[in-house]
Amino acid sequence: MSYGYVALAAVLLICVIALPLAVALVGGATHYGEVFSDRELGKVAFNTAAFAFASVSLEMCLGLLFAIVLHQTFLLRGIVRAIALIPWALPTAVMAMSWKWIFNDSYGVANDLAIRLSLVGHGIAWLGRPGAAFAAIVLADVWKTTPFVTIILLAGLQSIPRDLYDAMSIDGAGPLQRFRLVTLPLLRPSIALALTFRLIQAIGIFDLVRVMTGGGPADSTKTVALYIYDVLISYGMPEYGAALTGVVALATFLVAATFGALARGRARA
Amino acid sequence: MLMKRWALLGTAIALMATAACGKTAGAPIVRFLDRPDTGGGWKEIISEFEAANPDINVELVEGPASTNAREDMYSLSLSAADGTYDIVYMDVIWVPKFAARGWLQSLDHRLPPVEREKFLPGDIRGSTYQGSLYRVPMRSDAGMLYYRTDLVAKPPETFEELAATARRLQKPPELWGVVFQGQQYEGLVCAFLEVLWGFGADVLDADGNVVLDSPEAVRALTWLSGLVGDVAPGGVTTYQEEDARHLFQEGHAVFMRNWPYVWTLAQQVGSPVAGKIGIAPMPHVPGQRGAATLGGWGFGLAKSARHPEAAWRFIAFATQPEQQKILHLRGGAIPARRDLFRDPEILKASPYYSDLYRILLAARPRPVHPKYAQISNAIQVHVSAALVGAESPDEAIKRAAQEVRGILGR
Repeated sequence: MSYGYVALAAVLLICVIALPLAVALVGGATHYGEVFSDRELGKVAFNTAAFAFASVSLEMCLGLLFAIVLHQTFLLRGIVRAIALIPWALPTAVMAMSWKWIFNDSYGVANDLAIRLSLVGHGIAWLGRPGAAFAAIVLADVWKTTPFVTIILLAGLQSIPRDLYDAMSIDGAGPLQRFRLVTLPLLRPSIALALTFRLIQAIGIFDLVRVMTGGGPADSTKTVALYIYDVLISYGMPEYGAALTGVVALATFLVAATFGALARGRARA
Repeated sequence: MLMKRWALLGTAIALMATAACGKTAGAPIVRFLDRPDTGGGWKEIISEFEAANPDINVELVEGPASTNAREDMYSLSLSAADGTYDIVYMDVIWVPKFAARGWLQSLDHRLPPVEREKFLPGDIRGSTYQGSLYRVPMRSDAGMLYYRTDLVAKPPETFEELAATARRLQKPPELWGVVFQGQQYEGLVCAFLEVLWGFGADVLDADGNVVLDSPEAVRALTWLSGLVGDVAPGGVTTYQEEDARHLFQEGHAVFMRNWPYVWTLAQQVGSPVAGKIGIAPMPHVPGQRGAATLGGWGFGLAKSARHPEAAWRFIAFATQPEQQKILHLRGGAIPARRDLFRDPEILKASPYYSDLYRILLAARPRPVHPKYAQISNAIQVHVSAALVGAESPDEAIKRAAQEVRGILGR
C-alpha cells in the first residue's frame, strides 16, 4: 500500500517536473553552444551574481541580528515578531511599485528626506543612474527578504537548549564567547538552509527588478531572469530560451548547493 | 445529486455566456483582445454590428493594460493555433513579427488599393510586410512636441532652438526645459528615433542595410544625451510616458515629447495647464523635416481563424469612418482615416486635429523587421548608456549598430 502512494507521487512528479524539464533540455539541445558565446548572458550573469552576493550577504547579517533580538524576552514580543514579517508577506510587485515611488526623483520620499536632512542639495535620480539603481534594488530586496532569513534563524535559535548557555555561563564564558561557541555552531544548519533558499531566489530575481527599473539604465540592473524572459517572449526564441534556462538552472543549483554545503560542512569540523 | 448540481452549474455558466447583450445563441463567435474598454466605444461598435449582423457574435476580451502583456497573450495563442482569437487587434510594431511567423492572413485581396488610400499613409506602411497588407488601421498614434503656449510664442523648429528656448525659460526644479521618455524601454526608442530622423539619419536603409553608425546619428545622440541634467531633469532616465506627463501637466516643464493621449488629459478641467498647451511636430536640423514615430492599432485576421469570413465582416465594419468616430468620441482614439480630420463634429470637439493631421502625415514606422524586438533592445541599451554617461554617444552608436548587424546577420 505504502509503495502505491510513493508510486503515485513519483508519477505525479515525473509528469509535472521531470518530463517538462527533459523536453525543455532536449528542445534546447542544439543551442547549448550559443549559450557560452552569448556576450549579453555574460553581462547579465555578472549583474545577477553581484546582486545575489550583495543582497544575500546583507540579508544574512541583518537576519541574524534581528533573530537574536526577537529571541530575547520582552514586552509585546509576539506583536513585534508579527510586524517584522510584514515586508515578507507583501506581494513583491506591489512593494516594488512602492519603492519605485519612494525613489522617484521629483516627488519621492527618499529625495525629500535627503534634502530635509541636507544630505543632498537637490533631488537625485536614484533609479536613473547605473550604480544608484543597482543599490536601490539591493536595498528593496534586503527590506523585503530579511524577515524570511530572520524567521528561519529564529526557529534555529529556539531549538538550541538553554542549558548549554547556562553551563557556559557557569564556566565563566561571556556573551561573545557564548555566541561564538554555542549559538553559531548550532545555528549552522539553519544558516545553510536560509542561505540555500535565498541564493536560489536571488539568482532567479525577476519581478522586483522588472517593476523598479525594467533592467535599465544601460542594462545595469538586467538580471538573467529578465534576459531569459526577453529571449523567450519578446524575441520569440523558445529553443534558445530553453537552453539558457537549462544552463542557468544548473548553475543556480551548483552555487546554492556549494554554499549550502560550505555553511553546513564547517559545523562538523 | 452531485451530477445534477454540476449540470446546473454548467447550464448557468452557458446562460451567462450567452446572456451578454444581444448575443445570438449558436451563431459563430469571433474574438479579439484589447485593453479594458473604459470609454465603452467597443461595446457600442460591437452592439451596432451584432444588430446589423445577427448571424455573428463578437466578443471583446478585455485584457491587461500593458501592451507587452497582450502581445504575449496573442503570441501564445497564435503560435498554438488554438483558435481563441479570429481577429488580431494589434500594435503597429507586431505586424512584421506576426506576419513573418505565418500567423496572419494577407489582406491584399480584401482591402483594394483604392480603399487603402483613405487611410493615413504611415498606418498603411506600418501594416505592410514584404509587400503584403496584414492589418487594417483602426486608430493612429504618433509622437509629438507639446509646448506651453503661455511661455513660448512659437514652437521651435530646430533642435538647437528647442534646447536654447528650454534653457532660457527653465527655472529648475520648479520648471524644467524639456521632459521625454528616457527609461530603458520601448518608449526610449520612439523618442530617440524622432531625433535620429530629424537629424537626417536612420537605423536601416530602404534595402534593410544597417546605416545607424553615421555622423548624423552620433550628432543626434549627442544632442539628446546633452539634454539630461541640463534642460531635462536627471531623473528623465527613469521616465515613461506617464512620468513625463505628470511633470508637464503639473506645470513643471516647458516642452514635452509624448503621444496624443496627453492632450485630452492635460486639457481637462482642473489641469493646471489647461488652455495653455500647444502641439507641434518634433524639431529637426536645418534642411531636414521633423518626423514622428508611428504608433497605432489595427485589425489583422488570424490564419488559425475558425470563422474568417465572419471575422472579416467585423473588421470591415469596425474600421469604417462612423465606427472610428465612435472610438474617438468615446475614448479619444485618433482615427486612422484621413477624412475624419475634416469631420466637423470631430474638429469641434478637438480643434487641434488640424495640427495633429500634419504630424500624423509625417509619421514613420519603426524599423520594419520580424526581429524588431531585438533591434529595439540593442538601441535601448546603448541609447540609455549614452543618456546616463556610461558610454559616449560615439561609442553607443557604434556598438548599437554593430549589435543590430549581428541580429540581422544571424
